[in-house]
Amino acid sequence: MQQLLSAFGIDWHLLIAQAVNFAIVLVALTYFLYKPVLNVMQQRKEVVAKGVEDAKLAETKLATADSEAKVLVDTAETEAEGIVANAREVASAEKARLLKEAETRAAAVTRDAEAQAKEMAAQALRNSEQEVARLAILAAEKVMRAKA
Amino acid sequence: MHEGITVVLKAEQLGSVFGFPITNSLIMAWVVMAILIGFAYFFGKSLSLVPGKLQAGIEWAFEGAITYMTEVLESEKLARKFFPLIASIFFFVGLMNVIEFFPGIGSIGLWHASEFLPLLRTPSTDLNFTLALAMIAFFTIEVTGIAMLGFFRYAGKYVNLHSPIGFVVGLIELVSNLGRLISFSFRLFGNIFAGEVMVLVAGYFLPYFLPAPLMGFEMFIGLVQALVFAMLTLFFIKLAIAAPEGAH
Repeated sequence: MQQLLSAFGIDWHLLIAQAVNFAIVLVALTYFLYKPVLNVMQQRKEVVAKGVEDAKLAETKLATADSEAKVLVDTAETEAEGIVANAREVASAEKARLLKEAETRAAAVTRDAEAQAKEMAAQALRNSEQEVARLAILAAEKVMRAKA
Repeated sequence: MHEGITVVLKAEQLGSVFGFPITNSLIMAWVVMAILIGFAYFFGKSLSLVPGKLQAGIEWAFEGAITYMTEVLESEKLARKFFPLIASIFFFVGLMNVIEFFPGIGSIGLWHASEFLPLLRTPSTDLNFTLALAMIAFFTIEVTGIAMLGFFRYAGKYVNLHSPIGFVVGLIELVSNLGRLISFSFRLFGNIFAGEVMVLVAGYFLPYFLPAPLMGFEMFIGLVQALVFAMLTLFFIKLAIAAPEGAH
């Protein structure tokens, strides 16, 4: 055994030294290489996950915005239709009212004119009746004077 | 000066500081550590949420490793806990195996009493390093088993007094568990050391031409061995935290 160990140059000093060397490599690489690299990978994973989540959120937001806009346009359309129909209705009602009023006014004017004409005719008749009577009296007087 | 091939099984000692031996594989371990930690430090500082090519590649590798470990361990929390250990084994061993054949490593050295001592030697060709790493893996595995299952349930895997067959199976488990220390350390050491020797020998067969492709192949083997060490650690952790047979 002793021969074997010396043939391969086994020396506990060197064994410990090499073990310590490896331990130093292990610790140094862990702090300088593995941890930072794994941290960066973890960070990137988080960033990517957040990006994907944000994109998803934006997509759903866009979809809801689309449907919201559609609802808005739809209500605006129906409202506008209602307003136009209402205006049309009001206009036609107004038209009918105006026509009726004009008709009644025209009728009143005609009636007035007729009444006036009738009155005038009656007056003229009365006037002429008086004149005829006076003329008749005058004629009678003349006749009587001539007789006398 | 030597003629022919010199193969030195153990790492050469270059000197000592206060009685503490300094070998060329120890110096090389420090060089590899400096490269790794320096890279990690500057890379860790340049991280950003929008990754460059290098960062994207490393993140892809980490993500894949953690996903795989989660599948094996059946828990993401455990996977994240053990990821630093498994990844560090792979990076440390992989880097030292890949730069093993870089110019200057093994060829720059000191002449000491008519003996050539290379200044740098890949730690995975030194049993001290592979055994130390195997011990770390071994203790991690055992401690994890005890922490996850509790001492008595974990010990029950190895000392089974319910039946004679169970007792023998437990003993075999115990021996194979201890055998991991040897298989872990010699697998890595043997593969990388043999690769080095093969490249050395190939240089005598067909100098200048044969060693280059072999070096490329050995670098690949080095990465595979790093992966094997890391994966076996992972699998043994999985075995350790699995509930003992017949416990449910």
